Amino acid sequence: MIRRLIRQDLAWAGFILILAAALGFGQQWRLVRLSWTGGLSAHLEQQREQRRRTEFQGVPTLNLAQAYELFQQGQARFIDARNAEEYAELHIPGAVNLPPWDLKEPGARPLAGIPTERQLVVYCGQINCDAALKVAENLQALGFSRVAAFLGGFQAWDQAGYPADTSK
Amino acid sequence: MTKISLSISAKSLLLRLLEIILGGLFFYAGYLKLLHPDDFAEAVMAYRLLPISLVGAAAAVLPWLEVAAGLLLAVGLKKRSCLLLLGFMTGGFLLVMLVTLARGLKIDCGCGLFFTRQVGLVPILEDAVILLGAAGLYYWELTGAGEGTANSAPAANGH
Repeated sequence: MIRRLIRQDLAWAGFILILAAALGFGQQWRLVRLSWTGGLSAHLEQQREQRRRTEFQGVPTLNLAQAYELFQQGQARFIDARNAEEYAELHIPGAVNLPPWDLKEPGARPLAGIPTERQLVVYCGQINCDAALKVAENLQALGFSRVAAFLGGFQAWDQAGYPADTSK
Repeated sequence: MTKISLSISAKSLLLRLLEIILGGLFFYAGYLKLLHPDDFAEAVMAYRLLPISLVGAAAAVLPWLEVAAGLLLAVGLKKRSCLLLLGFMTGGFLLVMLVTLARGLKIDCGCGLFFTRQVGLVPILEDAVILLGAAGLYYWELTGAGEGTANSAPAANGH
């Protein structure tokens, strides 16, 4: 009896799965086709850039080479927008940890002593993370005039073999 | 025709309430993913478990599965089948998160309802609780545990 009921349950579960698949393929056929033909990554990148241009217009961005040049010159202060755990594990040397939620207080400690005209470079985890842009935007609102977001994130920095440490 | 019991016990009410909550949560989670399909596709891609060619299909189907199973469970239709589906999905996702953690990938789990969260111990424990809940509810429905449980086995049509 129980086995018969389980078989019935599995059959109906299969039906619901097929229904969901039909609805999903119907609604997102473009996404499925892009993925199948290898164009998904480029499409997502394009969508991300468009969204960021709208949402974070006014926030300058830097690529890996530009961020590294500023690091080598020693002129910029790097701001790590990831959570404390990730920061403690490994970060760009000299970077200050400032996740978006810590910016609620205008006089947050990580910003103490940093002149508002100092070049700041904000980064987060990887290219699809928006925390760097959010923090950069907030820092601009707090009066910092030279803020840029490094979009590649710590993942790109680390993969390039650039310096990193665990010191605070 | 399903027999409807005239006396509904507190256990049945609790069972129904838990099913409504579980179904509602999955419906909401699926609905959010439907609103942001590109974000969800990106989250699926970040796990690096599926070939890119299949990421689109997974990103297209999974949210609808959550919406359909969640809604049906919440309104009380084909409850056991929905619990099976949600249980399999949750179990599968739990496995994916464990593998991701073992590989040392630090990525957004794609599972946060109200804020983004990384793959870690908290989402894994949460998932484990949901899986146990779904399994428990399925067992309860299947065996008709609780007095006067409406729509439970061993009624002829099951659900």
